[in-house]
Amino acid sequence: MGNSKELILIHTSMDEVTLSYDVNVMLTPQFYTLKREPLPVQYAYQAKRIAPSLFEGLLEEGKSYEYMVWKEEEEWVFLAYDLEMITAFLEHKGFALEHISKLFFAQQSADLFTAPLLLNSNEALVSLDNVIVVVPKVALGENEGPSLPFDKRFTPKKGIMLKSAYGSILTVRQTAVLASIFGLMALMFFIEGSRYSGNSKAIQVQMEEILEAYPSLSSKYTRDSIVSKYKTLDSAERKKRETIKTLAGMIFKGVTLNSFEMNEQKFSVHFSCKDAQAFKRVKALAKKNKFNTVNVSRGHDLKIEGTL
Amino acid sequence: MNWQRYQNELIVLMAFMFMFMGYLYKHTQVSSQKESVVESKLALEEIKEVVALKKIWSNKKTTQKINKLQTLIPENKMKWSKKSKKVTASYTGLNDKELNTLVTKILNLPIVIKTLQIKNVASSYDVEFKCQW
Repeated sequence: MGNSKELILIHTSMDEVTLSYDVNVMLTPQFYTLKREPLPVQYAYQAKRIAPSLFEGLLEEGKSYEYMVWKEEEEWVFLAYDLEMITAFLEHKGFALEHISKLFFAQQSADLFTAPLLLNSNEALVSLDNVIVVVPKVALGENEGPSLPFDKRFTPKKGIMLKSAYGSILTVRQTAVLASIFGLMALMFFIEGSRYSGNSKAIQVQMEEILEAYPSLSSKYTRDSIVSKYKTLDSAERKKRETIKTLAGMIFKGVTLNSFEMNEQKFSVHFSCKDAQAFKRVKALAKKNKFNTVNVSRGHDLKIEGTL
Repeated sequence: MNWQRYQNELIVLMAFMFMFMGYLYKHTQVSSQKESVVESKLALEEIKEVVALKKIWSNKKTTQKINKLQTLIPENKMKWSKKSKKVTASYTGLNDKELNTLVTKILNLPIVIKTLQIKNVASSYDVEFKCQW
């Protein structure tokens, strides 16, 4: 809660302080410039956007001002303040900035200034037409009663978080934008990540279907044993068939098959060629297929051998 | 150190950490899923291969198909001997067409060719054939 901490009134003639706990501070009009305008805007952020133009010519040039805006009845109340100047003053008065929770402005609690509040022997804080101003004590007249007691009752609801303002490199807006971007990306990553878990389900289903039809194959050992048994057989038999097909391709016009022999280790084939051209062609084909060729003495005969 | 002083940075840092965790989660999921998909695919391919090999080389219909080798060639040209899952056959006097038909049929059967001998004898062919399945 905003008013749970001690509230200290800050004015230019105040004494130095030593703090070891968190406090809220309220600034007198010495630290801000006030303006009231009846503007046709509905929201505070819209009013805040036009605040710099309202204070044109009223503020010192070369300083960085920030603005606080709120609505009072039909009017918008604008406060312009130089946070750098304020923090410098607070530090000069012995405040450790990390002990300052929130900054408030006296104008925010204007309704509570029902009587003058003495700042020192010469000055007082008073509310004139609902505007808090610092006036010389002599202007109060002699009938004025005792000074208004100032305590945490004066703490308004809305304040400036000085800690984040002076300590953070990032503004609240930047923080919100960055956190939203990171949060959104995190969400995307989590969703994307969870989607990947479903990707292998199709393969699993297919596998389950096959294993249901062949329950014996569920064991990898069995599968490996079957694969090694049949793969050897398959590759050997395929080689035999391929060899026969290749050799059959060597039989063309002018080439006759004399004999063919194949067992599990090797093969040999004997071709009779009509002429030297056919002989050459068969020999070239055999060479191309990396078969060994043996010339048979008789005419244009050729023997082809090989292992399987 | 007063952490509250850096609350904006802390919020951004936490959001960043959250994003980073999300990224790690996704990365882990992707890696593990890739691994498991590869493993599953390999296992599936292996099973499919086993099934295919079994279908070819352990087919119960092979015996029937082998028997058809007897009907391809006229009986007078053939000697057929079948013991259990072994066949020894010899064919004599085959013409080119018969030889082609026989060899093509043999090559298309899922059997282990033990021996295959072809001899050209005066424009016809004699064939010796041993197989098992």
